[in-house]
Amino acid sequence: MKIRKLLATAGVAMALVIAVPSVASAAAKPSEFTDCMLKASELKTTTAQDNAANNCHKATSPILPALNEIVWGGIAFLIVAGVLLKFAFPALKKGLADRSAKIASDIAGAEAARAAAEAEAAEYQAKLAEARSDAGRIIEEARQSAEALRADLVARAEADAQGIRARASEEVQALTARALADLQGRVADLSIELAEKVVEHNLDHDTQIALIEGYINSVGTSGG
Amino acid sequence: MSERSKAYAEAMLAVAKAEGYLADVEDDLFRFARTVEANDELLLALTNRNLPTERRLAVVEDLMGGKALATSVALASMVVAAGRAGELGEIVDEFVAAAAAERDQEVAEVRSAIPLTDEQITRLTAALSAATGKAVEVKLVVDPHVLGGLVARLGDLVIDGTVRHRLDQLKEQI
Repeated sequence: MKIRKLLATAGVAMALVIAVPSVASAAAKPSEFTDCMLKASELKTTTAQDNAANNCHKATSPILPALNEIVWGGIAFLIVAGVLLKFAFPALKKGLADRSAKIASDIAGAEAARAAAEAEAAEYQAKLAEARSDAGRIIEEARQSAEALRADLVARAEADAQGIRARASEEVQALTARALADLQGRVADLSIELAEKVVEHNLDHDTQIALIEGYINSVGTSGG
Repeated sequence: MSERSKAYAEAMLAVAKAEGYLADVEDDLFRFARTVEANDELLLALTNRNLPTERRLAVVEDLMGGKALATSVALASMVVAAGRAGELGEIVDEFVAAAAAERDQEVAEVRSAIPLTDEQITRLTAALSAATGKAVEVKLVVDPHVLGGLVARLGDLVIDGTVRHRLDQLKEQI
C-alpha cells in the first residue's frame, strides 16, 4: 500500500511540474527573446506592442522540458516503475513481511518472556512469602526457645540462690551454735575455775574431815 | 597390763618376800610411783635416756633415800636403770595387786586431798569391803587435785566422792 501511495504521489508531482505555468526567466534563450521583441515592434499599436513586449518577457520554465522529453521520460519512468514493481517490490515486500514476522515473533517471544518472567516473579513472590513465613516461624521458635531458656536459667538461678541462701543460713546457724557452745564451754570453764578458787578458800580442815566422813559413811551405808 | 610389767612385778614381789618386808616395800614403791606420776618433770628426767644412768639413779636415791627401805630403793633403781621408768606406775600397781592377792585381798587406791588417820583408813577399809564384798586393802594417795572428799578405785570400779568430781559434773551440766 505504501508503495502504491508513493507511486501515486510521484505521478501527481510530475503532473504538477508539467502543468504549472512557467515564470519569467532570464534563462530563456536570447534568440527567441530577440525574435519576440522584433515581432512585437512590428505591431501597429502601442498597446499591442506593450502587450507583446510583456509577453516576450514571459520566459519559459527552466525546469520544464520539452514535450518529447516528457514523453520519453514518462515512458522510461513507466519502464523503470514496471521493473521495480516486477522485481524489486516483491523482494522488498518479502523483506518487509519477514521483518514483520520477525517483529511479531520477537513480540511473541517478548510476551512469552514477559509471561515467563511474570510466572517466575510470581514463583519468586511465593517463595519469598514462604521464606518470610519460614523466617517468621523460625523467629517465633527461636523466641520461644530463648524464652524457655531464659525461664530455665532464671529458675536455675533462683534455685541456686535459694540453695546458697539455705547453705549460708545453715552455716550461720552452725557458726552461731558453735560460738554459743564455745561460749558456754568458756563460761563453764570460768565458772568452774571460779568455783574451784571459792571451794579451795572455803575448804578448811573441818570441811575436809566432814567430806571424808560423809564419803566413808555413804560407802558403808551403800554396802550394808 | 603387759607381760613385761607382770614380770617386773613378780620379780619385785619375790625380792620383797625374800627380804621379809613385803608390806613396807609395797608402801614405799606405791608412794614413789604416785609421786613420779604426779610430777611430769620428774617423770621426764627418769625416762630420759640421754641422761646418764648414774644421774637418773641419783634422782631415785635423792627421793627415796632415808625415807624408804634399801630394798625399795634397789627395786625402784632397777626399774629406772632398765629404762622402764615410764612403766613404773603400771609395774608397781601390778606388784601391789599381786602382793594383796597373796593375802587374799584387793587393792583399793584411795585419793584424798589431806592424809587420813589410821582410824579413818580402818573404817574406810571396812566400808569398801562391805560395799564390794571383798577383802580390801587401802592404798592412800594424797592428791590435792581432788580438792576435797575421797575417790576409791578397785580395778574397774570407781567410787568418786571428791569435790573435783562434783565440779566436773557441774561443768558438764553447764
